[in-house]
Amino acid sequence: MNQTVEQVDRYIRQRYKAGFYTDIESDRVPAGLNEEIIAMISAKKEEPEWLLEWRLKAFHHWQTMVGPNWAMLKLPAIDFQKIHYYAAPKQQDRPKSLDEVDPKLLETFDKLGVPLHERARLAGVAVDAVFDSVSVGTTFQKELAEAGVIFCSFSEAVKDHPELVREYLGSVVPYTDNYFAALNSAVFSDGSFVYIPENTRCPMELSTYFRINARDTGQFERTLIIAEPGSEVSYLEGCTAPMRDENQLHAAVVELVARKQARIKYSTVQNWYPGDENGKGGIYNFVTKRGDCREDDARISWTQVETGSAITWKYPSCILRGDRSAGEFYSVALTHNHQQADTGTKMIHLGKNTTSKIISKGISAGKSNNSYRGLVRVARRADNARNYTQCDSLLIGKTCGAHTFPYIESANPTATIEHEATTSRVGEDQLFYCRSRGLDEENAVAMIVDGFCKEVFKELPMEFAVEAKALLEISLEGAVG
Amino acid sequence: MSVLAENLLSDAVLADSYGAVRKRAQAELMRHGFPDIKTEAWKYTSLRALEKRSLVPGEHQPASPPPVPFDHHLLHIDAGRLLSDSSSLPSGISIEPVDSNRLAGLDYGNRGGAFGWLNLARFEQGLKVVINGRLDQPLMLALTTPDGHADACHPRIEIELTAGSRACLVQLDSSNGSGLVNAVIDLKVGENARLDHALSRHNGDAIWIERLDVALAAGADYRLVTLDGGGRLTRQDINVALNASGARCEVDGSVLIGARQHVDFHTAIDHCVGGTNSRERFRMLADGNGVGVFNGRIHIHPGADDSHSDLNTGNLLLSEQARINTKPELEIHAEEVTASHGATVGQLDEQALFYLRSRGLSAEAAANLLKTGFAAAPLETAVDDAVRQWLLANLGDWL
Repeated sequence: MNQTVEQVDRYIRQRYKAGFYTDIESDRVPAGLNEEIIAMISAKKEEPEWLLEWRLKAFHHWQTMVGPNWAMLKLPAIDFQKIHYYAAPKQQDRPKSLDEVDPKLLETFDKLGVPLHERARLAGVAVDAVFDSVSVGTTFQKELAEAGVIFCSFSEAVKDHPELVREYLGSVVPYTDNYFAALNSAVFSDGSFVYIPENTRCPMELSTYFRINARDTGQFERTLIIAEPGSEVSYLEGCTAPMRDENQLHAAVVELVARKQARIKYSTVQNWYPGDENGKGGIYNFVTKRGDCREDDARISWTQVETGSAITWKYPSCILRGDRSAGEFYSVALTHNHQQADTGTKMIHLGKNTTSKIISKGISAGKSNNSYRGLVRVARRADNARNYTQCDSLLIGKTCGAHTFPYIESANPTATIEHEATTSRVGEDQLFYCRSRGLDEENAVAMIVDGFCKEVFKELPMEFAVEAKALLEISLEGAVG
Repeated sequence: MSVLAENLLSDAVLADSYGAVRKRAQAELMRHGFPDIKTEAWKYTSLRALEKRSLVPGEHQPASPPPVPFDHHLLHIDAGRLLSDSSSLPSGISIEPVDSNRLAGLDYGNRGGAFGWLNLARFEQGLKVVINGRLDQPLMLALTTPDGHADACHPRIEIELTAGSRACLVQLDSSNGSGLVNAVIDLKVGENARLDHALSRHNGDAIWIERLDVALAAGADYRLVTLDGGGRLTRQDINVALNASGARCEVDGSVLIGARQHVDFHTAIDHCVGGTNSRERFRMLADGNGVGVFNGRIHIHPGADDSHSDLNTGNLLLSEQARINTKPELEIHAEEVTASHGATVGQLDEQALFYLRSRGLSAEAAANLLKTGFAAAPLETAVDDAVRQWLLANLGDWL
């Protein structure tokens, strides 16, 4: 068993592969948070007056709020005045095509395995690449436009589709929602905008890759996906950051709107820099993600694989407003060294015959703490609502923690809610069985963890599932005992 | 000062040998304040009903101890004061005042533990009961208030089982008044001792807040079976600390909540060291516009390897207006453990109802049979036959 501990430790110490830094000249606003800075960001993005007003309202509200203290996290004090809220690679004008994008940027995304150029055609995934505070390029826009799909950066959407942005921005996550959502609403920079017209199945997977590069900055992206009646889209999200000793803040907001019979599948492989083995550095990942099944028979599915970030505070949720609407949440969260994660979901059943399913797998190693926090709420009118929740935790090592906080609130006698949770370690008997079949210890551990996470991985699009599996193996190398 | 502090506290600290303890408790309470729904441990339980009560002191005839259909030794505490004749107790049971030094070391934390501090500041008569040896009959602890009682009382009882002792404790909480009962009960189960504890409570309009703290030594065994028949506002905290290897506990409960009633059970089982076991099963039935709250926490501390724990909570909503809020929590800081919990919220099974009705039962009888079956399961674990039958009879009466 000791041999396994050492092996896994060695495996985990493997360097964070996305931890490089791209030396590129950047344009950034001064550090600090005030009305002038917000006006400066808005001006840089050439935004309309109404959006600046909205930002300022959010800022004024944020000033009245205090940060959340209820999560099972040791949250260090963040000096919001020391952060640069906007940083972008220096360039004359926004490139009109990928050919005009700074080769250094393309090289960066190539190194990260994100195909923006010719390889993108082979991968068949449309990508929006966000570098610090701006989108540097979006692929397949023309092909998508032929199908009526809008896939562009948020800034472009504000300029080209202001009516859609104005109608839906903040309609799922209002700026009053929580501390970090208010902050994001005040200072958000870029992100992705997706609009799928009625009865349209998006012809390809859409993907956004977020990269934090500049020092002393935060990333505050905003993503908005609107699926009109009868439409369908699968959206993938990935993220990385350089290895630094300082912590950096990532406070994003994602809003999904699914109308009648629309389907949105949102997958995330989160690989922000988690900090070193002593807990130094890493990204604070404080994200508000929420989907609104606004009309009947809508369906929203969240799948997340969380391996990065020093601290994760994230609860992708579904508001099941339409009758027969369905929400799903599949999650694998792995923490190691000094990482902390408090993550889970909220399923709010408002419509009749709504269903939700939650499968959460937490893996804790090193000195980390990993918490599942979930809410299933059945409102009085949500007749025949149905929820099934399963959250399992795997402990690897004696100094980590795995916690489960499921809130269940039912106000309808016809609802059926089931919740199950287990916590256990990687069993010696399981390892012994695998080894007696000829697997070495490393592969045995990988196989057990893979089996533990299988229910979630099968929900990911294939390319992401392969990436997620590899990422998990790398993150776990050296941790199991 | 909050409404509650104005109603429940007095500038004058009670003048007795516990003066310093009371003064500190009152200062802590003033510092933290009373909980509100922003306090996590009181998220689903509002104290508005208590705020609106006018607590009026008055002279009342003490209540009689409720009758029970089995032989027992009696400790009857009415409005916080011992009424029964302690000289009739067997030699294995002794009674003494609670030790002020021990009270001085107590810590009820912040706002979530406000009623613990309040009890410490205002308790009427602190009693310590020591049980030594094996009791031949159950010890009945009857906590009552006089009829018409509309004041606040703060019973405080410590019960200690010495090493190797064994006892059955039957606790009966009842009040026909409209005041506040704010009880604190400390149980200490010594090495290899065993305590079977049955708690039965049925309240009308009274507000009943009770905190039960249980500390288990090595090899100690604690079994609690509780039946709560509901009340206008009931809050029960059960905290069990498994302090040494070999300690184990089982906590079972059924809670019946009717119209205009609110019952909140918060349980916490702390596996402080390894080699400890716990099992917990709670069932709630909410009818009318009643609200049931259950929060069950299992905490396995760092280093408490080889701890095993299972928690299960099942809930039935019996009407359109009823509500259930339930939260089974796991907090695990050790590796070689198994911990699990399950929670369900649902309604009476229509197929089972149909089956029973097809056998000639009326709709009401069929529903009652199913409700009884659901609520009786946790009570079946009571070890003493007579106590078990008594609990099941109470269940039948209260359903």
